Amino acid sequence: MNQPNQPAVQSPKSSRLAVPDLISIGIFTALYFVCVCVATLVSTLIAGAGTIFLPAVAALICGPVFMLSVARVGKFGGITVMGVVIGLFLFVSGHFALSFVASVVFPLAGDLIARIGNYKNRVTILIGYVVFCYGLTGPILPLWFMKDAYVASLEARGKSAAYINDLFSQISVGSFFVAMAAILVCGLIGGWFGQRILKKHFVKAGIA
Amino acid sequence: MPVTAASRRLDPRAKLYLLLLANLLLFFHVDTRGEAIMVALFLLPLFAAGRWKNGLRLAVLYFALLGLGLWSDAVTLDGAGGGSGGSLIGMMDGGANDGGAATFAVTAGHVAGLLSVGIRMMMPCLITGAYAFTTTSISEFVCAMRRMHVPEAIVIPCMVVIRFFPTIVHDYRQIRNAMALRGIAAGRFALVRHPVQSLEFILVPLLMNATIVSRDLSVAALTKGLGIAGEHTCMTVIRMSWFDWAFMAVCTVPLALAIGGVL
Repeated sequence: MNQPNQPAVQSPKSSRLAVPDLISIGIFTALYFVCVCVATLVSTLIAGAGTIFLPAVAALICGPVFMLSVARVGKFGGITVMGVVIGLFLFVSGHFALSFVASVVFPLAGDLIARIGNYKNRVTILIGYVVFCYGLTGPILPLWFMKDAYVASLEARGKSAAYINDLFSQISVGSFFVAMAAILVCGLIGGWFGQRILKKHFVKAGIA
Repeated sequence: MPVTAASRRLDPRAKLYLLLLANLLLFFHVDTRGEAIMVALFLLPLFAAGRWKNGLRLAVLYFALLGLGLWSDAVTLDGAGGGSGGSLIGMMDGGANDGGAATFAVTAGHVAGLLSVGIRMMMPCLITGAYAFTTTSISEFVCAMRRMHVPEAIVIPCMVVIRFFPTIVHDYRQIRNAMALRGIAAGRFALVRHPVQSLEFILVPLLMNATIVSRDLSVAALTKGLGIAGEHTCMTVIRMSWFDWAFMAVCTVPLALAIGGVL
């Protein structure tokens, strides 16, 4: 408890991920995953069919977990591994394979952005967090794919293209941009909240 | 080879392959007949592993959705020729008779159809995912990942995640008890009434504890030699048996036929 900042056995300035880092990442990933589950619950309860807001709700509540994990690990690869593991779990629990791609690409980008500030600069970490949050768009992407499938089945059953366009064009484009903008806003709020929590509780306790 | 309970389960890698097939099914928009066949195939190992309740629930859900989809077909189509064989002629006169037929039943049919098609498409993934999740032990999973040459940077966090879930549940109960003792968020909906406060009061102790646990786990893992370079061995032995290969083949054929448009 007195020296929580020391990774067990490791040269302090190694820039590669060592086993203690990986274990920390695993634990934060587990917490992140729980947050995502809570977000799934909340977004289905509140918004009815609004699973499209899942990433936004997750972005709102996962801030503290992300900020502490960056503060604790602070090496390149940490955020990426977190995304990859989440992607694997989403894939194994039966989500679309594309969600795996999204949860690799966006966290990697977020990792690179946070790296610019050497995992110390608050602004770059915040931007990295927002980008990271887009990694969770994977599970909701099938909604637009489902629409494609439904359109295909409508076409197969003899509906005209104009009719189909009428039925779907506004829903899809509108909802897509609303969902993406919601992630941006919620990511900023959630990240700011996370950094505030970090300052209020963990920096003082010497953990972050 | 004697048929024991263990040998009636597939190899973890075969499960991953099934997941991949289910994803391909989603990706290529296979038609209903092929989909139903694949779903039936995917349900088999679930029953073979003795997960009767789980399997039956998923099967009933799938057939309910299938029925809903057929009903919506019947309503929205109002007799413009049979389902999957929609021809060019059907498309042309479909455009003509759509105009006036925008009644409530048709709208309801569309909504039901969208829901049923959408959720039904997810069902193969859900079934294979449920199978993979409920029948694989941690050591099997880790062993499979190592066999597939997944880097340790991924294997170790995965292990920790699976191992850490029960701890989170336990911690959460303790935190709620402590909160109740201090009279914070005691009522049924109290957590929802002050969302920001609840988030802070629950997440901060969880994170505090997480940092401590991560330190302890690191020490334990390093003592057990997780940090040693070189190849790591596993207690659990996994092998691809003829049954795994056979089942993989049996599942691949209908999918390939359906994608190729033969089925």
